[in-house]
Amino acid sequence: MAEGPLALVLGGLALFWVAMLGLLWRRSLIGMLMGVLFGWLSVVVVGIGWLAARSTEVAPGEGGVLLVVFILVGLLQVALGVAIVVARVVRRGTLDVQDAGLLEG
Amino acid sequence: MTSLLVLVLGLACLAAFGSVVLGRNLTRSIFAAGVSLIALGIVLLEAGGGYPAWLALAGATLALALMQLFGWMLVDVDRDHLPPTDGPTALARGLAFVLLAAGIAALGLGLAEVEVEPATQGVRTGLSAQGDFVAGRFFGSLEEGAALVGLLFAATLLATLMLLRGEGRNR
Repeated sequence: MAEGPLALVLGGLALFWVAMLGLLWRRSLIGMLMGVLFGWLSVVVVGIGWLAARSTEVAPGEGGVLLVVFILVGLLQVALGVAIVVARVVRRGTLDVQDAGLLEG
Repeated sequence: MTSLLVLVLGLACLAAFGSVVLGRNLTRSIFAAGVSLIALGIVLLEAGGGYPAWLALAGATLALALMQLFGWMLVDVDRDHLPPTDGPTALARGLAFVLLAAGIAALGLGLAEVEVEPATQGVRTGLSAQGDFVAGRFFGSLEEGAALVGLLFAATLLATLMLLRGEGRNR
């Protein structure tokens, strides 16, 4: 694998674990949402790195459609997370994250 | 050029770490995330990310703007956070993710060593041929990389499920 794409893949993996830290550390709601955002972006970085490494002159950019699907699914996950937060706050007046863990309406 | 790429990628990771750590202060967190996003944008576009990179960057900017908007309006960041995890749970969770990290690192390093092979000329029939067609059609050159990306998605979902389990009586 060429150095540039390799850097993207390894950098994406590093970014993924930074995102996981945000989710697992649970210091704050905003930090957790940032973790979701960067987790998704790390997948995109790894995907683009891998695509750059495997593209050939015969079929340049092959597999890009799959990457776009990943991007849309990840974006939907982030949107869903924000929507859940907003819906809970509108319903309860505040967001008690510990209470939200019970998954009750 | 590659060293510059690595440098900017390092800056992106550092800024992402900052945005996670500074989560109690919304403005600082959003600012750090914005810096990380700019660095990631430079890296992805410089590496020839093309339209997927533009799409991802546009989506991330939108998500960040939404977080900023709703964060200002709704979230009390001083109060809305979870209590610290107790020792045994943190240990178990840490061990599980160390194992997962080792697996993903091994996969990533393995993928880095994969070389592009010329297409085989043999005739294949039945399910095998159909499988090759589907994989080639939808995954293309990402055929093997799809496994790694799928694992990353699975790990994210696992972490989300673990978060939803909560602490105390719901453990």
